[in-house]
Amino acid sequence: MWRDASTWAAEAAAVFAKDWRCEFRTRYALNTLALFAFTTLVVVSVSLGPLGVSAAKGTPVLPTLLWLILLFAAAAGLPRSFVHEEETQTATALRLAATPSALFCGKLLYCLTLVAALEVLITPVYLAMMSLEVHSPWLLVGTLAAGGYGLAAGSTLIAAMIAQARGKGTLFAVLAFPVLLPLLLLAVELTRHAVSGEPAGMALTQILLYDGTVTVAALMLFPVVWNP
Amino acid sequence: MKTILAWLLWLWMCLVLYGAFLYARPAMGFAAGQSSRIVFFHVPMAWVSMIAFLAAAVWSARYLLGGRRAEHDRAAAVAIQLGLLFGVLATVTGAMWARIEWGAFWNWDPRQTSITLSLLFYAAYLALRSAVEDAETRGRLSAVYALLGVVITPFLYFIVPRITFSLHPEPLVNADGKIDMDSEMRQVLFASFLGFTALFFWMHNLQCRLQALADRKSAHFYE
Repeated sequence: MWRDASTWAAEAAAVFAKDWRCEFRTRYALNTLALFAFTTLVVVSVSLGPLGVSAAKGTPVLPTLLWLILLFAAAAGLPRSFVHEEETQTATALRLAATPSALFCGKLLYCLTLVAALEVLITPVYLAMMSLEVHSPWLLVGTLAAGGYGLAAGSTLIAAMIAQARGKGTLFAVLAFPVLLPLLLLAVELTRHAVSGEPAGMALTQILLYDGTVTVAALMLFPVVWNP
Repeated sequence: MKTILAWLLWLWMCLVLYGAFLYARPAMGFAAGQSSRIVFFHVPMAWVSMIAFLAAAVWSARYLLGGRRAEHDRAAAVAIQLGLLFGVLATVTGAMWARIEWGAFWNWDPRQTSITLSLLFYAAYLALRSAVEDAETRGRLSAVYALLGVVITPFLYFIVPRITFSLHPEPLVNADGKIDMDSEMRQVLFASFLGFTALFFWMHNLQCRLQALADRKSAHFYE
């Protein structure tokens, strides 16, 4: 029993380490993700004008834009984690090397670290550029953590699916956005509360519930997606 | 036997039409009482689209667990196509009624929001199907997506009412557990529920058989 658990964890850790080693050879995902998010941020900021939006309008509008930037950046960078395996034809070797659930957790951990890096990079710049004052910073941190986790978990499962289909880039957005939409609505709502200083309310419970649901569903469905 | 059932269904739907326009009285308390007759079509169609999506999930689960048989995959896909059809019809009839009663076709009422978002989900299902060529892979991936749909879309029903505000009439089974309709309206509405549900399964059966024939023909063509 313990032996099984430790080999499972070792497999997941090996997948995670392998993905980061590959990533550091090219830095493709890091560069695209960070640059994509930063470019979008600049576009948003410039198009809002040098004065930005007034404080009264900022609270409802700016959290939405922050999450849209994060969502589109994730859609640009995360599918690669599986598409890359199919393109270089390493998927079969991976099927032999790891059990599906361990593989999924390794990949999820990799996507999670990418999303976390993205959030750490983008959020402070965004808040500074938009001069958005956050009244409850810890709620914002919690929202970014829960929202980032949901984003990574949903994207990992969808990425595994679209890697086996045609038209991968556009298909990812088409399939992932309806799945991530409830998460996005909740994250925007919570970020608004964090900015205005209102209590979190029901949305915090629901976002955690969403994260749990997606994780369980993904762990149950991933073996079917992965093994032909 | 099937022909007799189809004729019975036709007769039943004629009765529903008769009941909807001539037997039930117009509802009170609306700007245009006659417009309330749309309830006999709008609500059953929304109901059928929900039944269709649930049925698709059941067929998808049977496909994944029961030996990957092509007929289960086909049944799930056809159910989602029909669910989208009835969902779009429910949305359009709802919008028409909203124009008469609330003055605008569209106002992101919670029910309008959630149905639009769930229709987006199932439209994506069809996009996924058309993007995979191999029949086995297509069945597998789309079954996974359909099952994901029944765990993700319920979230919308909790979230959306909080962020939008509603003018919608109370749902049929409301918090008090009673139905605010007179007995004629109730009779016609339940007859219509029954008729539309039977109509869905009849259309589903026809479409599945047509699809099976088309699949067999194309398999023969490639031999």
